[in-house]
Amino acid sequence: MRETLSLLVYLVRLRVRTRLEFRASLVIAWVAQAFGYAGVFTQIWLILTRFENVGGWTWPQMALLLGFHTLGYALGACFTLVQLRRMEEIVLGGEFDTLLVRPLNPWAYLVFSGFNIEYGGHVVLGAGLIAWALPQLSIVWTPEALVLFGGGLVSAALITASMITIIGACAMLLGRARYLFGIYFDFWELSRYPASIFAAPFQIALLSVIPLAYMAYVPVSVLLARPVPYLGAAAEMAALAAGPLSVIVAAAFWRFCLDRYQGGGG
Amino acid sequence: MSAFLALIRAAFRREAEHRSRNIIRILGGLVEILARISIWQAAFGAHPSLYGITLSQMITYALIGGTVLSSWDATMIVRDVGATIRTGAIGSSLLRPVGYPLMLLAEQLGVRFFDWLLVSAPVIVIMGLIYGIEPPASLGHALLFLGHVVVSLAILMTTAILIGLLSFWVFDAHSLEWFMRGLLAVLSGGLVPIWFFPSGFAQVAHALPFSWITYQPMAVYLGERDLAASALSLAAGSGWAVVLGLGVAFVWSRACGQVVVQGG
Repeated sequence: MRETLSLLVYLVRLRVRTRLEFRASLVIAWVAQAFGYAGVFTQIWLILTRFENVGGWTWPQMALLLGFHTLGYALGACFTLVQLRRMEEIVLGGEFDTLLVRPLNPWAYLVFSGFNIEYGGHVVLGAGLIAWALPQLSIVWTPEALVLFGGGLVSAALITASMITIIGACAMLLGRARYLFGIYFDFWELSRYPASIFAAPFQIALLSVIPLAYMAYVPVSVLLARPVPYLGAAAEMAALAAGPLSVIVAAAFWRFCLDRYQGGGG
Repeated sequence: MSAFLALIRAAFRREAEHRSRNIIRILGGLVEILARISIWQAAFGAHPSLYGITLSQMITYALIGGTVLSSWDATMIVRDVGATIRTGAIGSSLLRPVGYPLMLLAEQLGVRFFDWLLVSAPVIVIMGLIYGIEPPASLGHALLFLGHVVVSLAILMTTAILIGLLSFWVFDAHSLEWFMRGLLAVLSGGLVPIWFFPSGFAQVAHALPFSWITYQPMAVYLGERDLAASALSLAAGSGWAVVLGLGVAFVWSRACGQVVVQGG
């Protein structure tokens, strides 16, 4: 176990060192991605400056929601997105077969050897939005609230990693699965808004089978003492539990797909 | 011309091959439009109209602006150009009977036409039946809107090709793609019409060609300006399309000098 962990850390270090060979390119990528997100957030800011609130959410509250969402996503995606989005090519090109004979779990190898530090822009933008919004909001910082804030971010990262893992695993059964990331990102974009503004079926979906509402909406609502539909007083516990639960589901699904994998390469 | 049309047809057919992906795209389109409509419903609250704009107009704006006039997919051109350069496929692209920028345009037009017919149209019909959709303000506005759609497509494609061609110098198409996304997200009026912008910001957006991608066509469709002003807008947009087209020709002529093919 200790050897495996040190190997995984070594793989991450290798990856980071490789990426740092092109530092200017890395910084440009950070700035570009932050700029892309800032464009989208500017649209939301424009709506809120004109209409004052959306579904009762003011701009500082939305800024906290967006910051939380962006930061939580970045923490999960840096371990999974670029690596597992390639699962289709990895399976169809036969590379996955070579991973199966290595003395290391193939998921762990893919995830850690492809650790992506290009999310610096997301982290700065997300943390910046949170840092700007928090002083303007009357959040009571009890130990419980601090646990919810930190645990909620970890939970958001775990939800991101789990959902990307589930979609990536589909390639083991379907071969072509990259297009499924499209629908994931469509729902993911929904989850950057307060779920309460959507129709009831979408609220239920985002709080159950597609648990993206737990990435930001549920924990931020609890922090802001706003009511969460369908969850009520259980919202805080649900926000913290959603991440670990999604990990269990993702691990089971990965195992399920791996057991049925019959080779996709030629 | 026949080669250009053949490339459009080929791209259209290629898109039609992936049935599961297309069903997912329709589903994705429905989710995206639902998000846009929900935002406007939440913003308007109980008011049927605010700042001279009705909720019904904004739903129509979201429906047509988020599908037919969406700018999202155009960023893929930048990614494609980057991959062509990175993999060296640009060498073989230069041997084809159609110039590379024209080839890109034809392929993207094929994708776009497919998208309009088999993704946007079902999404508009389904969401239109649920939430309602306003017709064009008049027959004249409808005709001018069609002209604006052509201009929108021309500006979107030439902008994407122009930014994509910059990959010949910066070699990092991924970053260019993100810059383009951020730029178009706001300045095209894709989600938020420019009439809701603060005045200084609106003046900047009006002065740039990107507003012709979504905002200007929708302003014409909804009758927010009279026929004379709409015709003037169409002429101005066409002018921008020509300028950007000339920009692509110029940058491509310079980019050709950058290509060094090694090996074979």
